[in-house]
Amino acid sequence: MAKIGVILCTCFGEIGRVVDLESLKTRLEADPAVDFVTIRDSLCLPGDAARTQALIHERGIGKVILGACSTYGKMEFVRLALAREGTDVRTVRAVDLREGCAWVHGKDPEGASRRAANQIEMEIALLQNRRDSKDVAIRMQQEALVIGAGPAGLSAACGLARLGFKTHLVDRGSAPGGLLNVITKTFPIDEPGPEKIKNLIDETGRNSLIRFYGKTKVSAVKGYAGDFKVSLAGPEGNTALRVGAVVLATGARVLFPQGLFGYGKVKNIITQMEMERRFATGAASCKTAVFVQCVGARNSERPYCSTICCPLSLKNAMRVMDENPGAKAYVLHRDIMTPGSVLEAYYRKALQKGVQFIRFDADRPPEMRGKDQVSGIEVFDTISGVSRTLETDLLVLSTPFIPDPDATALARMLNIPVDKYGFYAEVYPIHPVETRNDGIFICGTARWPVASDQAIAQGEAAAMKAASFLGKEDLSALTMSRVPGGKLGHAVADAAACTGCGNCVAVCPYEACRLQRTGNRSVSRVIKVRCKACGSCVSVCPNGAMQMPEQNYRAVGEMIRRAFREVR
Amino acid sequence: MQSSEKKKRTVLVVGGGVAGMSAALDLAGSGHRVHIVESGSDLGGQVAKLDKFYPTDHCAFCPLWTEIRRCKESPSIFTLTNSRLETLEKSDGGYRAIITKSTPVIDPELCICCGRCESACPKGVARPIWEHAYPPVYLIDGNRCGDCRTCVDACPTKAIGFEREEEKSELAVDEVIWSTGFTEVSLEPLKEYGWGTHPDILTSLEFEAWKAESGENKGAILRRSNKTAPRSIAFIQCAGARDLRLLPQCSAVCCMHALKQARWVTRRNPAIHCVILYTDLRTVGRDYYEYALRDFGGNGVRLVRGRPSLIYPLPGGDGIAVKFEDTSTQKREIWKFDMVILNGNLKSTLSSLPAGSIHPELDGEGFVKRTATSCGFVMEPSDVTESAIQASSAALRSITDKN
Repeated sequence: MAKIGVILCTCFGEIGRVVDLESLKTRLEADPAVDFVTIRDSLCLPGDAARTQALIHERGIGKVILGACSTYGKMEFVRLALAREGTDVRTVRAVDLREGCAWVHGKDPEGASRRAANQIEMEIALLQNRRDSKDVAIRMQQEALVIGAGPAGLSAACGLARLGFKTHLVDRGSAPGGLLNVITKTFPIDEPGPEKIKNLIDETGRNSLIRFYGKTKVSAVKGYAGDFKVSLAGPEGNTALRVGAVVLATGARVLFPQGLFGYGKVKNIITQMEMERRFATGAASCKTAVFVQCVGARNSERPYCSTICCPLSLKNAMRVMDENPGAKAYVLHRDIMTPGSVLEAYYRKALQKGVQFIRFDADRPPEMRGKDQVSGIEVFDTISGVSRTLETDLLVLSTPFIPDPDATALARMLNIPVDKYGFYAEVYPIHPVETRNDGIFICGTARWPVASDQAIAQGEAAAMKAASFLGKEDLSALTMSRVPGGKLGHAVADAAACTGCGNCVAVCPYEACRLQRTGNRSVSRVIKVRCKACGSCVSVCPNGAMQMPEQNYRAVGEMIRRAFREVR
Repeated sequence: MQSSEKKKRTVLVVGGGVAGMSAALDLAGSGHRVHIVESGSDLGGQVAKLDKFYPTDHCAFCPLWTEIRRCKESPSIFTLTNSRLETLEKSDGGYRAIITKSTPVIDPELCICCGRCESACPKGVARPIWEHAYPPVYLIDGNRCGDCRTCVDACPTKAIGFEREEEKSELAVDEVIWSTGFTEVSLEPLKEYGWGTHPDILTSLEFEAWKAESGENKGAILRRSNKTAPRSIAFIQCAGARDLRLLPQCSAVCCMHALKQARWVTRRNPAIHCVILYTDLRTVGRDYYEYALRDFGGNGVRLVRGRPSLIYPLPGGDGIAVKFEDTSTQKREIWKFDMVILNGNLKSTLSSLPAGSIHPELDGEGFVKRTATSCGFVMEPSDVTESAIQASSAALRSITDKN
């Protein structure tokens, strides 16, 4: 058994004046597993790492315990410096003697010393018993699949292609463009909708790295990050692909306000999307248009703000005034949601133009007047405290984005989580286009309601993240972690001890455990690329077949035994 | 995709806050080299000063810490702290940047965070950079330092040196990403907010630090004037923002920030009555509206739509009066509070570069125009999530030809 070297740091007295390092040294030296114990004044100053490495090399030991400050102090930098010097840092363990012992137990030197000894002995037990997970390398399929060819998906596909990756762009519609095909002008610069993504669509056609599949659905996704096996069902039959990363840009639907404000029964009550179609066909003439915000949103059923409806109403209200000289436009709102500088300026523009804003309360929503044809709307204006009846020949309802059932089905297929409304859930808060699963990225309204500008930015962001992932030619399962230094290891199932009960399969959040039929029984098998070393399977395995090599039963049991040796 | 085809670029990221770090990590992840120039003494920017994140109410530092650590541990990210971009010039297809790095009095390489300088300093100007700096190192506040040099002898690793000069270095880079973030702008010109007239009238970032669990009060909610618990706190939204006299923009983060602070206050001390005076409650992100909704019903937080016309300290230390119209009742009110928190006065920052130097184009409100690659608050008022999206998109645009 390889011996263990222990290097203790006095930290210029910070540890040394509380913890009795000399007697700790004597005690540890008596342990047959320990090769040597040295006491040094520092481990973290320039040149210290080289000295430590020289010592490790000279003694020919592979396992080292550094008794110094905490990981949140300088120890990670020490480990990093050692790694640069050429040490295998997987078997270098840092024990926190400063923050954890000397500082918090400064008034009890004896207790601090006892704790220091205990902690180091536990680490010795761990180092003696730990094993290394075997890494697996996966040949990265350096191609990407983008599902959905709206603004987000187009920009993701173009981004990936610009970075040199072959990209398959799939959409259930026959042409790319998504919801923007319906919209003839977009806020805040009043650019025609398709114009905005025309460049992207052109680029999609021009760039030979992008292949567009229209009228196509994803029928199955198998495999794992780096090597997804995808089946597409399209007009030309089934296509099989192997891709390294998947970008989901499946978009969302707009709520149909059936039954609200007489929609569907009374004429000239339309949704924002229908208003867009009227603009497109030139049928948007009216004397007065009233826009009602938060129809079916920010209520108990859908307690969220759909982000785009306020700017959309500002745009359409101004457009009504532009296209029908003398026409009036009202926006009935609860809060005008125009955060930021660009949208706030757009709101000011609408105010200056003469769009009238009336604030209503959620408890007292406006009431539609009219039987077959809308004639007016009654609203209680909370700012002036009076009820007003507006005569109108057009009522436009702003309804929120709702998740698409196809997108939810896709989430299930890919095993990525959705939030409580059904939108794709992100890794909150600093990784907004990443999902819990490696190699799967999200963008656009499928992630959360968003305007086209932001959807394009999100598409680019997803492309960047996917490209960073795809850039590696070989994927090492052990490095697949957002945590610096990679993940701890991965679980291993002992086929001889496994009874095939399936507990591990049920608890694994990453679908890394699978039951596999061998001979006449089923045994568990871990897909190492998917395993995140959470240990859930280890804790539910009734007969210890599931183990984490780095922290196996023996190692942990021995650590506990040593920790309580003196108590007993 | 053959990796030989890939052109490895060198990108300069100006500003090491959450946006700059995200962009740097994405670039490094695809094999490019990144230099981060950060004016502060550590990475993290404004988020490092936050106590909690909305809408989770989780500690802000843990997610940020991972990013800082990844930046520091990445072999292709080079971070220059305490540095500023002196000039930026075009040179053969790329840029030439001159960067001035001032070495802090305490060398972070040598500091072991023992705190002996703090105990030795008679004026109390030696302190940790901030509670969560990684690695934890000390700094000396040069402005208040009495120059007694007691700390020099107290330091066991000889990390303290007062005779340090600025170092100039030159970098050749292919592209620049601007992510210089925001600062609080003085509310002095808007007299009605009473900023600076009473210690209990704070800006929200001052309050965030004051109430922080890692701050000097260890999370207790206290008045700044006499260190007793306040009975009531008013949060004033759009102070300085959505105001053509100071900042026309909506600062985008303040509504949620105020809700978060008010929730936290009532959670720490349910006896404190919190009132948020808002104009529009802008809660557009994931779960944001629900987060606000939880406050409507009781919980000690009251939301009132109105914008104060005058805030003034009452004589005899009897609290602070806030005069406003409650627009839901159309009544003019004068309410008395023990503390007033002003929210919204956030301005994008971009320290000016000398003439002849390349400067990104700014719009009328001081935000970087889309002609330059930028991300975070300096491009558009944005919260952490939005900044991270913009950062990745800026990273992509910096290494591909713009279309």
